[in-house]
Formats: sequence, C-alpha cells, structure tokens
Amino acid sequence: MSDELRQQFDRLLIDEYWLLDNDQLEDWLALMTDDVRYWGPVREDLERGGEDFHRAHLLTHFDEDRGTMGLRVARLRTGSAHAEEPPSRVRHFVSNVKILETATVDRVRVASNFMVFRSRSGREETFFVGARRDWWVRMDGSWRLAERMIIFDHDIIDNITVFI
Amino acid sequence: MHNFASLVDLDRGTVSPKLFSADDIYRAEQEKIFAKCWLYVAHASQLPAAHDYLTTFMGEEPVLVTRDGDGRLRVFINSCRHRGMRVCRRDHGNQKLFVCPYHGWSYDSAGKLRGVPQLDNAYHNELKRDEWGLIEVPRVEAFRGLLFANFDAAAAPLIDYLGDMAWYLDVLLNRSRNGTIAMPGCHRWHLGGNWKLAAEQFSGDNYHTDALHRSMAQIGLGPPGGFRGNRPWERDFEVNCGNGHGWINFDAGDVPVPPVQAAHFERIRAEARERLSPAQADLVLTVQVGTVFPNMSVIAFLGFTSVRVWHPRGPKALDAWSYGLIEKDAPPEVVDITRKMMGLTFSPSGIFEQDDGVAWSDIANFQGGVIRREYPFNYQMGRGHGRRMDDKPGLIHPPSTEIGVFGLYEKWHEMMSQ
Repeated sequence: MSDELRQQFDRLLIDEYWLLDNDQLEDWLALMTDDVRYWGPVREDLERGGEDFHRAHLLTHFDEDRGTMGLRVARLRTGSAHAEEPPSRVRHFVSNVKILETATVDRVRVASNFMVFRSRSGREETFFVGARRDWWVRMDGSWRLAERMIIFDHDIIDNITVFI
Repeated sequence: MHNFASLVDLDRGTVSPKLFSADDIYRAEQEKIFAKCWLYVAHASQLPAAHDYLTTFMGEEPVLVTRDGDGRLRVFINSCRHRGMRVCRRDHGNQKLFVCPYHGWSYDSAGKLRGVPQLDNAYHNELKRDEWGLIEVPRVEAFRGLLFANFDAAAAPLIDYLGDMAWYLDVLLNRSRNGTIAMPGCHRWHLGGNWKLAAEQFSGDNYHTDALHRSMAQIGLGPPGGFRGNRPWERDFEVNCGNGHGWINFDAGDVPVPPVQAAHFERIRAEARERLSPAQADLVLTVQVGTVFPNMSVIAFLGFTSVRVWHPRGPKALDAWSYGLIEKDAPPEVVDITRKMMGLTFSPSGIFEQDDGVAWSDIANFQGGVIRREYPFNYQMGRGHGRRMDDKPGLIHPPSTEIGVFGLYEKWHEMMSQ
C-alpha cells in the first residue's frame, strides 16, 4: 500500500471537512455515490471484544441512503430545523488516516479518526469523537464515498445534529 | 421546603416553573415518585435464558435485572453491600456470578452473597452472608413483555396501576399473535431538560408538532393526513388515562411503504382483528404516543415501537434510553426498514427528536430565574372539554388538547402531597 495513496486520502478527508465546516452541505452530498450507506451503530459496554457492529438488527443512530441524507440536508435548509437555528458553531477535525484495504485500484477502504466540536446557546459545548471506516470508489477520475461507518466513542451521546 | 401541592393549581390548570428547575423538588420526587411508582426496567425478550442479565436505572438507582437459575425475573440494586461499587458494569450478558471489582464479594443471579474473600481470617467466619445479599427491588411484574419494578412493596399490582392505559398499550403490544421482541442495542443520549418535560410531551402534547416540527412538513415529510388527522374522536384523539398516564393517537394517512412492509402490516391488521376489540383493531398501525407515569414513554410510527425511559439526572438534565420493539416474526427486511426509520425519525439523530431535545434543554437552561419562576406555565388547553366514550376508556378529546399533559401533573400533585 503506497504512502502516496495515504497522503492522497489525508488531503481528501481534510477537503471533505472543509465543506462541512463551511456549510457546503450540498457539495458534501455530491461526494457520495448514488448507493451510499452512511451509518453509525450504537455502542455497548460488554466484555472485551464483545461488541459486534454488524450484529443483525443492532440499533443505529442513523443508517442512511442517498435519499435520506438528502432529506437531512434539505431539512437544515428550511430555516425551521430548530435544533440548528440559529446554527451551531461546528468544527471538524480528522486525523490518523490509514489505508486498510485496496480491493481494486478504484476501491479503497480508509480508516480515520474524527473529533467534531459543537457549541450553541452560549454555554452548551459538545464533542463528538470516534473513528470512521470508509469505502471510497473512483468514478470518472474522482473519489466518491460509497460507505461510511461511524464508530462513536460515546456511551451516552449528545443529540446528533451534525454530520461526521 | 416548598409546599409542593401548591405548585400545581388543579383548579386553574397551571404548573409552577419551579417543577423544572428546583433542586429540592427534584430530590423530593426521587422519594415520593420514583421510590413509589412502577418503573420500566426491561423487555422480557432481552432476558430469555437463565442467568441472562441487563443493567439499567430506576430513577437514580442503578439496577441489575436478572433471570435467576429458576427462570424468575429479579431486579436488584446494582451495588455491593460492602462499599457500594456496582457489581456489574456491563450492559447485558449471561453470567452466574457477579463479582464486585473492589474487594471481590460475589453474588449469584438470585442476589445471594456467595463469595467473601478472607471470610475466615479477616471476618473470623462471623459474617452472616444470608443477611448481605444484593438489595432486591421487592415488586417485579410484567405487562405484554414490558417488565416493570417497584421499590414499594405495598404498591398496587401493575395492571391496576396501568388502569385504562392497558387498553391503549394493548393496541400496540397485543396486536400480533407472537408478540414483540426488542431489537439489540439501545439508543442512549443525554439532554438538558427536566424529565417531566419529555414525559409530558409524550403523554399528550400533539400541539407542538406544527410549530416545532414545521421543517418536516416543509420538506414533504409531514404526515399525509396532517399532524392532527381527519377522523376526530375515531382515530385522532388524545386521552387522559388517569393515574398520570396519557395517550395520543392519530392517523397519519397512507404513507407509502415497500411491498414487503405493506404485506407485514396487512398480516398484523388481520391478526389484530382476531385479538382486539373493534375499536382497538381500528387503531392498529396508526401513530401512537404515550407516557406511563412517571417516566416511561412509547412512540409507534410506521411499524416500530420505541419504548423509552427518561432517566432523571438532576432538575435540569435527563438521559433518554430508547429500545426498539418489533413483531417477533417480522421478516428480516422489515426489521431493517423499521430500524432505519426509527434512527431517521426518533433517535439521538432523529429529524423529529433533535428539535424536541432543543426545546427541553432551552427551558431548563434559561427559565430558572427568580422572577420568571413566580409566573406559572399554562396547561389550560381543553380543560373541561374531555368526554367519556363507549368504545374506548379514559377522558378523550381530539387534538389539540392538554388534558393528557395535565393528567401527568394531576398525578404528580397527588404523589407529592403524600
């Protein structure tokens, strides 16, 4: 696995977070494939190694396709999605990018860590922290997000009004 | 010390803002409400085998729910009798022995104290182990798979406590032949806001939907039949069930669903007609929302039933824990569609739920001031206009009304006056 590919995704994931930090949600959605899966399973406190995010029917904080992602963005644009009005201040950080698997030259599994800070209503400040497992595919020369599993490092989470 | 009874004006239909901010009221609620009422702890399907367990809370008390070696469901305070550390710090599993990490006292799934390190040389064999078992919650009873427990040994039976609410819960939980199971996992999230704000909304606040959830209608996801429905009294109504329990029912109209889910719904409707009264069967798979006093709520929408507990975490904070119920024999594709719908709509990221949380936390964060708290909140909507009907129980009125919401405070007043 070439370091060049890792550096390429390092830059790509930073560019992706630029879009989220700057409220360019429609451009962010355009990075996704038509059959994207964007999901985040719930966490459990179990014996070491006992968590299985792929367990059948395990509850998910969200498990979205292109259509429902579009609805979430459209809702934020209505001006009456009260959880984000006035908009919270959100900053996205990504690090620890690693190429996990290259299925083909055009299909790559990428791991990264995230930290997302949100503040609103004066004193209310929240961090969302965790890891991501992405599948990116190259279509017409550019990388598109085909799947993102978001592993939150929270037992009891705050309400999730932001994209990760 | 407040005169608690004066904070809810039963004649005028008002509630003091202090109920949502004052620490002494919160502390008194723990003793007068949470230590006396039936509290939801688990769904029986989560503990199918001997020595299965899960951990949760009853009010502020951490509890361990077990199925003991004889197959009996038991509830214990999750706290070692020696120094109080939780003897189980996992969410669920199966084990015969719970060993306290601190000094190693161990308890079996029936709560009995088994092992005590150095029983001989340190305790000189004088410790009476049969007196130092886990503190057991004396009453545990189930209704259609919902397991409740009560710290009050003298409490009335669960079925009497539920009263008229049982009829409405049956619309959800007795509609199908093989009953419901809980999907694995639990949505758990922290919110600013007093637990009662969440409980009261689910007990009968349909009024908020047009304003707070306006964005849903704007993107075309409002119910085709509107948030108030078109069949008042029949399918679109709210209920003060008495004893603090409240219910909302409305017909969202024909929401398009995939064929596999439509077939599943058709089967449930057919089974329901055999099992329920005509008035109950007519409500099956409409939208249902309700609260069992004090802090357990349900919301059922497009096939999923979220059973949630609003765990109190101080006067201005709560933890919401939501489990997803579905028919035991639902096809796997239907379970997945349903799980996704629950995440999209009513979950920590739910496009309805997000806005509810912000309303409750705003009230908690900004409305505790010494001036504002002397001016009561208005709960007068619909007072005196509820009706008794022949085909369904409780005091009923079509949306919008606050007779169900205020019912929660009528019960609160009763409990806090004792």
